[in-house]
Amino acid sequence: MKPRPAPRLWLALPLLVLAVTVVEAALTAGGTAYTKRLETSLLAEPKPLAAVSGKVPFASKLKVEEARGPWLRVSTAGTTGWVFAGNVSESKPAENKGADGLGLSASTTTATAAARPLTPAANDYAERRNLGDARKDLDWLNDHGMTLTMDQLNAFMQAQKKGEYQ
Amino acid sequence: MKARSLFLIFGALLCGSGAHAQLDFGGLAGKVMDSAKDIKKVVKGAAGIGPEEEKVIGDSVALEIVGKYGGLVRDPAIMQRVNLVGQTLARYCERPELNWRFAVLDSDSVNAFSAPDGYVFITRGLYRLAQTDDALAGILGHEIAHITGRHALKIVARGEFLTGATNLAAANNSKVGNINAQLEKFDTGIGDITKTLFEKGFDAKTEFAADQSGHDLAKLTGYAPGGLRGVLAELLQRGGDPQKNFSTHPPLKERIQRLPDEPAASSTPPAP
Repeated sequence: MKPRPAPRLWLALPLLVLAVTVVEAALTAGGTAYTKRLETSLLAEPKPLAAVSGKVPFASKLKVEEARGPWLRVSTAGTTGWVFAGNVSESKPAENKGADGLGLSASTTTATAAARPLTPAANDYAERRNLGDARKDLDWLNDHGMTLTMDQLNAFMQAQKKGEYQ
Repeated sequence: MKARSLFLIFGALLCGSGAHAQLDFGGLAGKVMDSAKDIKKVVKGAAGIGPEEEKVIGDSVALEIVGKYGGLVRDPAIMQRVNLVGQTLARYCERPELNWRFAVLDSDSVNAFSAPDGYVFITRGLYRLAQTDDALAGILGHEIAHITGRHALKIVARGEFLTGATNLAAANNSKVGNINAQLEKFDTGIGDITKTLFEKGFDAKTEFAADQSGHDLAKLTGYAPGGLRGVLAELLQRGGDPQKNFSTHPPLKERIQRLPDEPAASSTPPAP
């Protein structure tokens, strides 16, 4: 009778443990973090309204020098400063490119989070699929439903102690 | 095959000027050839679908969701609350640069949906249950996780993009553009996504991952980590028709068991 091969899964276990350890350690001192916005501000102090000491572009690699609660002191290419942990990622964000060859950092229309109108192709889709009422609803969502300003959002977060205002 | 064709159509649609009957296939050919040359980069991407494609897919899927679930609730106070909580979470998610929008569907069923590029919808039936912001954050966090994880996009991107893009280049290089056939394929691709959203749901593993990611995002943002757990527990306690309560998600009990063992945050505010 042919001997049964040992399960290969066990061979991967040490690697799995190592990977988990690396991820867990990413946002602690000595670890690595990545920016996930088109531009991320580094602050002079671990406070939400502190002075900006530098700005870092999308998907930049940061070295975590120090962790103080949810705040991280990071450095990259001569720039150093504090950032709220929620403003960075443990893994490098993928910059997917489409048929036009443009990724996030090159796409001008993604530069703001402001509501945008439906794409022309989606308007055509609504017509083909007889989704006129749904299109009116989404137009309303984009035109009138999204009246929230950045100031209102910041005021809400401060009052509710959310995000970097905790 | 559908997925391959869909990529072809996205390119055609995105490069159009907006006049749907006059897609510029001449200009597209050059861009597509460039894209094909850069195919390794496309394939290396998590799904091979860029920001512009994601907008078209997201808009189209959102149209289907809104069309199927009774339209949007046009109440300024509800919109304000959903967007304050939702935008707060979105600020710290893995893809903060998307066009995040949160809205309530005018449906009594208990469910929530998302579409690529930042559309998050919660039904009126579920919104009623989420009386505290902790509960609402738990629900929205789960849907945000579907978008940041590109779960819907993976449905159409699972094919061989290399072959798809090569076909795209060849088809347009010879200027053979059967627009109607291509639009039909695009619509079929969107249909593949909505079939998953409306009928069978994502696979259980994907849903559990979204539960965990949503939980982590809510906690990081400062909401009680047991928010989603509280809503699920409330639904389980109430019983009712499973076809109406998160019917496209795994069983409530299993979702609760897999979430971290933290106290379930109340979904209702304390009595005055």
